[in-house]
Amino acid sequence: MVELRGVRHRYDGRLVLNLDHFAVPAGALVAVVGHNGSGKSTLLRLLALLEAPTEGQVLWEGAPVPRRPPAALRRRVTLVEQRPILLRGSVRDNLGFGLQVRGVGRTAVNREVETVAEQFGLTALLERRRHELSDGEVQRVAVARALAVRPDVLLLDEPASSADRAAAGTLYRALAQERATRAERPFAVCIASHQLEDAYRWADDIRALAEGRLSPVTPENLFRVDLPAGTDGGDLKHARVGSIDIAVSTDRTGPVVLAVAPTDIFVSREPLPSSARNVLAGRVTRIAATRPGGGVVHVTADVGVELVAVVTAEAARDLALAPDAPVVFSFKASAVRVF
Amino acid sequence: MDFLAEGFRRAVALLLSGDAEVLGIALLTLKVAVVATILACGIGLPLGYFLATRRFWGRRAALTAVNTALAFPTVVVGLLLYGLLSRRGPLGGLGWLYTWQAIVIGDVLLALPIAAALSAAAVQGVDPRVRRTAETLGAGRWRTAWTVAREARFALAAVITAAFGQVVAEIGAAMIVGGNIRGSTRTLTTAVALYTSQGDFGLALALGLVLIAMALIVNVALQALQGKGDG
Repeated sequence: MVELRGVRHRYDGRLVLNLDHFAVPAGALVAVVGHNGSGKSTLLRLLALLEAPTEGQVLWEGAPVPRRPPAALRRRVTLVEQRPILLRGSVRDNLGFGLQVRGVGRTAVNREVETVAEQFGLTALLERRRHELSDGEVQRVAVARALAVRPDVLLLDEPASSADRAAAGTLYRALAQERATRAERPFAVCIASHQLEDAYRWADDIRALAEGRLSPVTPENLFRVDLPAGTDGGDLKHARVGSIDIAVSTDRTGPVVLAVAPTDIFVSREPLPSSARNVLAGRVTRIAATRPGGGVVHVTADVGVELVAVVTAEAARDLALAPDAPVVFSFKASAVRVF
Repeated sequence: MDFLAEGFRRAVALLLSGDAEVLGIALLTLKVAVVATILACGIGLPLGYFLATRRFWGRRAALTAVNTALAFPTVVVGLLLYGLLSRRGPLGGLGWLYTWQAIVIGDVLLALPIAAALSAAAVQGVDPRVRRTAETLGAGRWRTAWTVAREARFALAAVITAAFGQVVAEIGAAMIVGGNIRGSTRTLTTAVALYTSQGDFGLALALGLVLIAMALIVNVALQALQGKGDG
């Protein structure tokens, strides 16, 4: 549906986004995970056609989008920002804004506003003004307002950041309902979040963004952990993930996301003496070639947690890797990315 | 201090008597000020919005130029306009020298930088999410501008007030291109200058009071238009 090709985006000369390719296919549910400042919001603004990339192309259904996209094209994608703002007027005015600018008649606007308000539990708030709402309510109104215009692509930047769990549940249920009722016209959602749980629960496809670049890490190899301080004050730390400890070399502490690139995992049948601080034994759960007869194989193994490694087809054959076969995954503490 | 009290008494008497000359001068001043403010803001506000929201080569230079123009001496503007409108000037054919239209042009030239520079600052002060929100919800260029303007309504009302204040109090250009002709191009400011120099302090003060009253009424009207409260 919408894709970025060879995009390098700069603010005041500083490179904030560097993507060879990123796409939100029609009807897809994509999650982009990354810490604050990783470039998620910039990525969404480019996908929303609100900004043109400094270099590279934005394509819509394969066709290049002009630097100043026509309103008709912009109206097919809607962004809800991380800290959304309500426009002047009541909640009702806000919910109806997008429809109004599309020239929808007053009666139809009111009908649609009532429907979307009910869907998001906003009926009682319809006549309220922005200063009479909590942050969570503002966020709900913003998502409802974006959904009211029935976009082909909905972009949500940290949609649950101001919401409590119940409100987040309402939001995701409404999105699921919208996707179910829009079978005739695909409805894609792209969620940027630093909460991996959100991504795992709702997305078909998860991409990790770090320092403006896509990380080659699959969702299986991403872990949200609380990093303790190093035992001897050094950078080597042990993070508890599921039933195992992962050794990480970093000066950071506290809540972080750990990522292990599948290409950084060394695969063997038995533990081998090496400098790798992480040597995890388990069993293969899945083997998948990237394409039939392709040279690369994705090996998923349960080593206390689920991890994916990439090996050549030849190596997979030599190691006789098959579902349920014993396997050892090894990687260095310095190979674990922290963001 | 006696002459002040005497002048004030004379002023009140003149105003209460509904002096035709005072009324004529006041009405001309109001006409010139309103037309010039509408023109200056009609051009200056969109220009300010453009400067505040569009990224283009030379934008910083344009903003600097507009800000510099804020300090342009009124007599210099009057002089340049005189050159343009005089019989030998490129716009001499219009025959506007020493007419109220010439005063309007001078006032517009002086108020335009105020309208543009201050409205650019007002729009820059609006949370950028407002514009992005309007755009992502599908608003076109004009609707987006209107949405942003509504958020900046207090600041923009202050811009209009400042522009009106500039044109209503302007004297240099009005004197040079208007000529201060009785019954034709004599405005409140040029009349105050004239009557003060002639020693008719009472009349000058009366006109000064009218000028202040006019500014007060316009400000009150603009404040009423802004509406009350947020939301």
